[in-house]
Amino acid sequence: MDEILAEFIAETLETLDALSGEVVAWEMDPTDRSRLDAFFRFFHTVKGSCGFLNLPRFERLAHAAEDVLAAIRRGDRSADPATVSAVLAVMDRIGALARSAGAGVSAGIAEAEDDGLLDALNLASHGFEIFAPACAPDPAPSVPPADGEDLPADAPRRAGSGAPRSIRLPLALIDQLMNGISDMVLARNDLARRMRDHGVDPELESSFERLSANVADLRDMISKTRMQRIDRLYAAIPRMVRDLSRELGKKVALELDGGDVEMDREMVEMVLDPLTHIVRNALDHGIERPAERRAAGKDETGTLRLVARQSGNQIMVEIRDDGRGINRAALVEKAIAARLCTAAQAALMAEAEQLALVFHPGLSTAEQVTAVSGRGVGMDVVRANVEQIGGVIAIDSQAGRGTTITLRVPLTLTIIPGLIIRSGAHFFAMPRGNVVELLHDNSAMVAIEQVGGARIATIRGERHSMIALEDVLGITRAADQSGPRTLMVIRSSGGRPYVLCVESVESNEELVIRPASPPVTAAGLFAGMTLPDNGQPMLLLDAAGIAQVACLPVREADGHAFAPSATGAAEARVETVQALIYRERDGRQRLIPLSVVDRVEDLAAAQIVRTGDGAFARIEDALAPALNADGELGPTIKALRLHDGHSQFCYLIDDVLDIIAAPARLDIALSGGRIAGLVMVGDTQYEMIDPFAIFAEAAGTAAARATRPIRCRIADADDPWMRNILAPLLAQAGHDVSIGEGSDTAPDVILRGETGAPLPDASAPVLTLSANEAGAAGIYRYDRAGLLAAISRAARSAA
Amino acid sequence: MTDTLFLFATIAGTPIAVRATEIEAVVRLGEIVPIPLVPPHVRGLAALRSRVLTVIDMEAQIIPGACGAAPAGLAIVAQIAGHSYAFCVDALSDICHAGAGVQPLHGRVDPAWAPFVGGLVEHDGRGHLLVTLAAFAATPACTPRAA
Repeated sequence: MDEILAEFIAETLETLDALSGEVVAWEMDPTDRSRLDAFFRFFHTVKGSCGFLNLPRFERLAHAAEDVLAAIRRGDRSADPATVSAVLAVMDRIGALARSAGAGVSAGIAEAEDDGLLDALNLASHGFEIFAPACAPDPAPSVPPADGEDLPADAPRRAGSGAPRSIRLPLALIDQLMNGISDMVLARNDLARRMRDHGVDPELESSFERLSANVADLRDMISKTRMQRIDRLYAAIPRMVRDLSRELGKKVALELDGGDVEMDREMVEMVLDPLTHIVRNALDHGIERPAERRAAGKDETGTLRLVARQSGNQIMVEIRDDGRGINRAALVEKAIAARLCTAAQAALMAEAEQLALVFHPGLSTAEQVTAVSGRGVGMDVVRANVEQIGGVIAIDSQAGRGTTITLRVPLTLTIIPGLIIRSGAHFFAMPRGNVVELLHDNSAMVAIEQVGGARIATIRGERHSMIALEDVLGITRAADQSGPRTLMVIRSSGGRPYVLCVESVESNEELVIRPASPPVTAAGLFAGMTLPDNGQPMLLLDAAGIAQVACLPVREADGHAFAPSATGAAEARVETVQALIYRERDGRQRLIPLSVVDRVEDLAAAQIVRTGDGAFARIEDALAPALNADGELGPTIKALRLHDGHSQFCYLIDDVLDIIAAPARLDIALSGGRIAGLVMVGDTQYEMIDPFAIFAEAAGTAAARATRPIRCRIADADDPWMRNILAPLLAQAGHDVSIGEGSDTAPDVILRGETGAPLPDASAPVLTLSANEAGAAGIYRYDRAGLLAAISRAARSAA
Repeated sequence: MTDTLFLFATIAGTPIAVRATEIEAVVRLGEIVPIPLVPPHVRGLAALRSRVLTVIDMEAQIIPGACGAAPAGLAIVAQIAGHSYAFCVDALSDICHAGAGVQPLHGRVDPAWAPFVGGLVEHDGRGHLLVTLAAFAATPACTPRAA
């Protein structure tokens, strides 16, 4: 805040200086329209800035003067000498206040004295009414109320000499300075290389060292001139939040933190738009109206918190609201409707991936957004903007609890630490910020496998797509590589981390990055160019661009994204189907076409109900056939929910391994059983499941259960538990429920309580429910799974 | 007077003229670092003192596939839209005033040349095609020739 205040004061004083020349001229010819306009603009600016900086005293003065000038402009009043003097007096007072505020001392002018000036304006106005601004009476902390008696004797003098000594420079000049210093650093590097090559005497070397150190210092200093406190980024936000929340009828408390963090001016400008956008979204879609918040048991006033932190050479800006969060289910639905992914792919996505769908451009057109009721307005643009400056954006949201969006941006654009990579005869630079980890490919922590042309590096149990830089760039690999190759785990913006395999990483340097020319950037792989110490021009790799060119799986899982194209391009001509590799419960790995997989889910063992000739899984209180349910089941079981468009069933498995593109033609077709045949994927052959066979099997199980709903009759019509608890449960499970003797149709199962009257002439199997868990008389009535299973078993035996 | 100052050179066996105002310098390039996955007319990067130049092979722009017959040596350095480029030329003949200035082009120029040529400049008794360097720096997709 201090910096903004200082800037405001500097600006005000500067304008006053400029206007002081006009004062006399205006006094001589008060009708001069252009001068009048200049004064009006001055007061208007001061008023605007003060409102925002919470300087009520300035605001009051400026507002009054502005009103008078506005009246003159309208022709409602004439610029008589008395008015002109009154306006000028106000100007002088603002100047005096600004100077003392800038020096950090109280002005020595009591606020009451302002009234005199305002009265003068009023008096001159011949009854013209001046609206007193309805600003808060408490004075701004930065301008303490003047207390004439206690004023230190030397204050006025300090006010003169202690005024902020700063000059304002055109930004272009600063940019030129920065470019100049960048060139100087490059020239120094060039010279250093030449000196190394030629070998120079130590004396020359030591003076070069001194020069070099000076250049480095200078570079740091110039970099600092470009640094700005993040306060500047925050400057516009309170006002925006206030206006917007009022407009939307919401109550929002804004918290800003970390305003003293400094970042490159250019970065501040680049981050401003995305930040504004995110804040807008948080207010518009995130924070609920007071009534909704009350209903949700939250404080009526929502909280929006902005925190900035510096971590290493990155700035992290976090925008957190405690609103309703993002409706993930609706978002996924929208994504499926927009054909961004299939239901099966969406089911396989992690929560974070599903959330990341908001960044997809397809989900950001206006009407879809209202339907999604989440964020999505231009979030793709926000992400693009952030990525453009080498930043990363992440989103986290909990339904009902709020949303947190984190921006990570580099400190500065022009000089970044980078790794120099060798690939064959080529050298490239990679921003160090993108590199998570470096490993050799013979490290024990890495396992590299090849499946369906895709190379996968598993590092400490985590799977990453792996690509070789040479393959992406289409250059030949060094044939005589003796040592191990280096694997770089790259975190690219807007994608999963991936592993980039390079010949070697040569060195680690501070690189001065220059924008690459358009024909070079057109390749989509290069973010800039640089001239490192070795004097060889070098290109800076674009981590996200590489992932894109290599068609690595990105968050928005689209159809082909799973096929790595570095090698997959050639194979793409073979017709493929998306298939899921999974491990059967007996440990065998098999493939199943992804198109029939609706989702992968974890079932609790209690959800599996085994009956005489098949097992069922209880899903949302309906039973679906479950295949593979034999044997011991763990506490939770992974299951594939398979869907043929009409019916669904669960296929219990051990685990899901991967999704690959498998050849659509079977290499060897087998008939009979669940296996359709064998396909070769990479170097391994897999058994491909025959969807027809398993759906037929499941249909058989389902048919065995019942072709019509089971009619349950509750014998004890008076038992409240039976009527109120059991009946709804049975109805929910898809059974027909009748109570008492009133029904015409014969029931399949009759349910009675332990204590109810015995039923001697039962026309159907009778199930006795016990209120006591240990009761031997029948089924414990709160054993839902047991109860449902017993009903279907009894119904079948009756049929 | 600089309006009539031209640099005369040869590319692909054709005499060309370039406005002196477009040119920053004429240099002999050192090593060129090739760039993968860029159009063939982008030869690579070259360091000039402390600057990095994008080296453009004008001949490859004119005759697709012809990848700079002559080893890159002489080049015209120019700033286009804030970026530094070096344009390879086969030979340089002169920098001088052409009193008659730019004349309209008579006769139909080869379509390969069409996007780059803006007229004819008379020098030494011969007509030189006036070319715009900026047109060469553009990626082919931006020029009508791409179709």
